[in-house]
Amino acid sequence: MTKNTKVILAGSSIIVAILILLIAATPGASGTEIPLAQAVANPGQYEDRYINTEGFLVEESIDWRADEIELRFDIEDEDGNVLSVLHERVRPDNFSDGVIVLLGGYIQPDGIFYAETVQTRCPSVYEGEKPDEDYDPSVHQDVGNDD
Amino acid sequence: MYIIGNLTIYLAFALALYAFIIFILGIFKQDQRLVDSGKSATLAVFILASISMLILLILLGTSQFQFEYVYSYTSTDLPLVYKLAALFAGNSGSLLMWTFFLAMYTVMVAYSKKMKNNPMVPYISAILLGNIIFFYIILGFVTNPFGMLDFVPQEGRGLNPMLQDPGMLLHPVTLYLGYVGFAVPFAFAITALILKTTDAFWLRMTRRWTIIAWCFLTLGNVIGGWWAYLELGWGGYWAWDPVENASFMPWLTATAYLHSVMIQERKGMLKVWNISLIILTYALTIFGTFLVRSGVLTSVHAFGDTNIGSYFLIFLALVVIFSLYVLMSRYQLLKQDNGQFDSLLSKESSFLVNNLILVGGTFAVFWGTIFPLVSEAVRGYRVTVGIPFFNAVMSPILLALIFVMAVCPLIAWQRSTVKNLKDNFLIPAILSIVVAAVLAGFGMRAAYPIIAYAVISFMLLTHLLEFYRGVKARRKVTKENYLVALYYLMVKNRRRYGGYIIHFGIGIMAIGIVGSAFDDETMQTVPKGSTIEIQDYVLTYEYLAQRREGVNDVVFANIHIQKGGKDIGYIQPERLFFSTWDEPHTQVAVHSTLREDLYVVLSGWESDERATFVVKVNPLVEWVWIGSFVLTIGSIFAVWPGKYGNITPRYRGPKRKVS
Repeated sequence: MTKNTKVILAGSSIIVAILILLIAATPGASGTEIPLAQAVANPGQYEDRYINTEGFLVEESIDWRADEIELRFDIEDEDGNVLSVLHERVRPDNFSDGVIVLLGGYIQPDGIFYAETVQTRCPSVYEGEKPDEDYDPSVHQDVGNDD
Repeated sequence: MYIIGNLTIYLAFALALYAFIIFILGIFKQDQRLVDSGKSATLAVFILASISMLILLILLGTSQFQFEYVYSYTSTDLPLVYKLAALFAGNSGSLLMWTFFLAMYTVMVAYSKKMKNNPMVPYISAILLGNIIFFYIILGFVTNPFGMLDFVPQEGRGLNPMLQDPGMLLHPVTLYLGYVGFAVPFAFAITALILKTTDAFWLRMTRRWTIIAWCFLTLGNVIGGWWAYLELGWGGYWAWDPVENASFMPWLTATAYLHSVMIQERKGMLKVWNISLIILTYALTIFGTFLVRSGVLTSVHAFGDTNIGSYFLIFLALVVIFSLYVLMSRYQLLKQDNGQFDSLLSKESSFLVNNLILVGGTFAVFWGTIFPLVSEAVRGYRVTVGIPFFNAVMSPILLALIFVMAVCPLIAWQRSTVKNLKDNFLIPAILSIVVAAVLAGFGMRAAYPIIAYAVISFMLLTHLLEFYRGVKARRKVTKENYLVALYYLMVKNRRRYGGYIIHFGIGIMAIGIVGSAFDDETMQTVPKGSTIEIQDYVLTYEYLAQRREGVNDVVFANIHIQKGGKDIGYIQPERLFFSTWDEPHTQVAVHSTLREDLYVVLSGWESDERATFVVKVNPLVEWVWIGSFVLTIGSIFAVWPGKYGNITPRYRGPKRKVS
C-alpha cells in the first residue's frame, strides 16, 4: 500500500464520519413545511410533528396578554383559511396587518398552533408596496413624560 | 439624468461585449493592438460603471422620486447617509454596485504592475468581462436602476427601518467586495487551465486575491451578525438562515483553498483539487445570489420573489459547465508530476484533513440548506431542518477544525517523529488539560464546553509556542531583544505569521461562540419602579419617556442596573417610530463586558405604563467581535507588501505574443 493510498483511506474515514453525522442529525431536527390550508384542514395528522407554515396576519385578532406574556393571533391565506396561533413570547417587530408571519411549532388536535418561533416578513422588505397610510403620531401619545 | 444614466448602462454593456470579443480575437490572432484596445475598453467600462453609481447616488441624495428606485427606497426625511446607502437596499442598485466592483477588480488586474507583459492578462480580462456582460444584461434588460415612473410622487416609500443602521453602511459593501472578489481567483484558475500552467507566480497571485476576498467575506459575515445582534432583538447573531448559509459556504471552501494551496506550493500536489476548490467557491457565490434573490427558500431576509433568481441559475449552469469542460480537458496535464505523501503524520496530510473537514462542512451546510427542496422533490412536501440540525452537525465539525488548526502549524513537512510531536505538544496539551480541570472546578458541568475550551486553549497555546520558538531561534543568531526579534520574525514571514494571527482571531471568536450558546433569558411585564432579576443582575424599570430624533420619535425605558449589589449605571432600550413606516422598531440596549452582555429589549407597554421587557445574559459575545478584529489584522498583515522576502516569483508559464 502506498503512502497516498493510506492518506486517501484516512481521508475517506473523515468523509464517512461527516456523512454519518449528517444522517444521524437529520431526522431529529427536521420539521415539515406545510401550507396553511393543510394545517387547518387536518390538524390531527400533524400531531407531535414540528411544523413550519406561513400566512398573513389578521390584525383584529391580536390578543396580547402582557402579564402572562402570551400572544394570540390568527393568520389567514388567500383562500380565507384561518389558523389560530398561541405564542408564549413577546410580539415580534413589524407585527401589523397583512404582514407575512412565519411560524414554527406544533399544531394541537384542537387546531390551535403553539408557535415556538414567530417571524415576520414584510412583503415590502425589499420590493414592495407603499404602506397603507402615514404614521399616526397619536399611536404613542399616551406615553408618559415624567422625566 | 435619465438619459445619461441609461446611456452609461447600455454603453458599458456594448463596450464590455466589444472588449470581450476583441480580447478573444487578440488571443487568436496574437495581435497586441487588439488586446490593448480591449484593455482600454475595459477601463472605459469601469469609468462608465463609476458614473452610473455616481448618478444613482446623486439621484438618491437629491430625492428624485420620479425614478422608481429612488421612490422605492428613500424619503425626503431620511438622513443623507441612509439616502446614499439605499444604493444597496434593492435589487437593481445592489447589482449595479456588484457590477462596479467587478469592473474595478478587472481593471486592477488588467493594469496591475505585477501582471505587466504577462500573457494571462487577456484571458483573465475576458473571463471577468464575461461576468460583467451577464450583470449588464440584468441591469439593462431585467431590473434597470434608472427606471422612471410616469408621474412624480411627492414622497418616497422610505427605507425599511431595519436597514437604517450603521451596519447597513458596512455589511453589504464588505460582503459584496468578498463575494465579487472570488471572481478574480476564478478567472486566474480558468486562465491557468487554458494556458496549461499553474506555476509559482500563478499560485501567489491567486492566493493573494483569495485572501483579500476571504477577508472581506469574513468581515461582511461578522458585521452582518453584529448588526442582527443589535437590531433584531432575538439575542443571537447567526441563525443558519439560507441566506446566511449562502455566504458561509464559499467562506468554507475558500478557507480550504487557502490551506491546500500550500501543499501545491511545496510539493506540486493537489492541483486538480485546488482548481476545483476555486471553481466551487465561485460557483457557490453565484448559487448564494440565486438563493437570496429568487425566493425559492423560506427566509426572513430574501430579496422578494423576482425572476432575477432564474437568470442567476442559468448563469450558474453556464459557469459550471464551462469550468468543468475546461477542467476535464486539462485533467491529464494536471495529474502529471503529482507528488507523493511521505507520511501519514506530516504537515501535508494534516492540511488534507483540514481540507476534507472544511469541504465536508460545506456539504453539511449545503445539505441542510437545500434539504427542503430535495425533500419536496422526493416526497412531495417540504421538510426543513432548523438551527438544532446545524448546531448538532457543525459544532463537532468546527471543533475538529480547531483541533487540526492546533496540530497543523507544529507538524513538520514530509514526516514528523514521535519526539518531534512530544517536544511540540506536551506542554500545550498539559496546560489545556489544566484549563479543562479549572473550568470543571469552577462548576462547569456540561461536557461539550469543557472539551471545546480545552481544544481552543490547546490551539492558542501551540500557536504561542510557535511564536516563542521563532523568537528564540532568531535571538540565538541576531542577539536582538525579544520585541525586535518578534518584529523581524513576523515581517520577514508575513504570510506565515499573518496566518497565525488569523488563527488567533478564530480561536478568540470560538471562545465567544461556545460561550454565547449558554445564554439566559427572562421575559416580564412590570409596572414602573419594580425590578427584574436575572442571574446576579437587578434591573429597576424607572420610567418610560419619549424624545425626538430628527423626524423620528423614540420611546425609551430608563433602566437602572445593579450587579451583585454594585451600581453599574443606566441603559435605555428603545422603540423607534419612523415617520414613513407604520410599525415601531426595536433598538436593543446592551451592556457589554468581556464576561457577558446584558441584553435588554423593550418589547412594548400598556396604557398604565407597565412595560414588557426581554432580558438576556449572553456570555462572552464580545469575544466574537474582538476575534474578528484580530482576524482582519492578520489578513492585512499577511497581504501587506512589506520589504522583506516579498518577491513575486517570476512567471514561468507559456509565452505568448500578447499580454
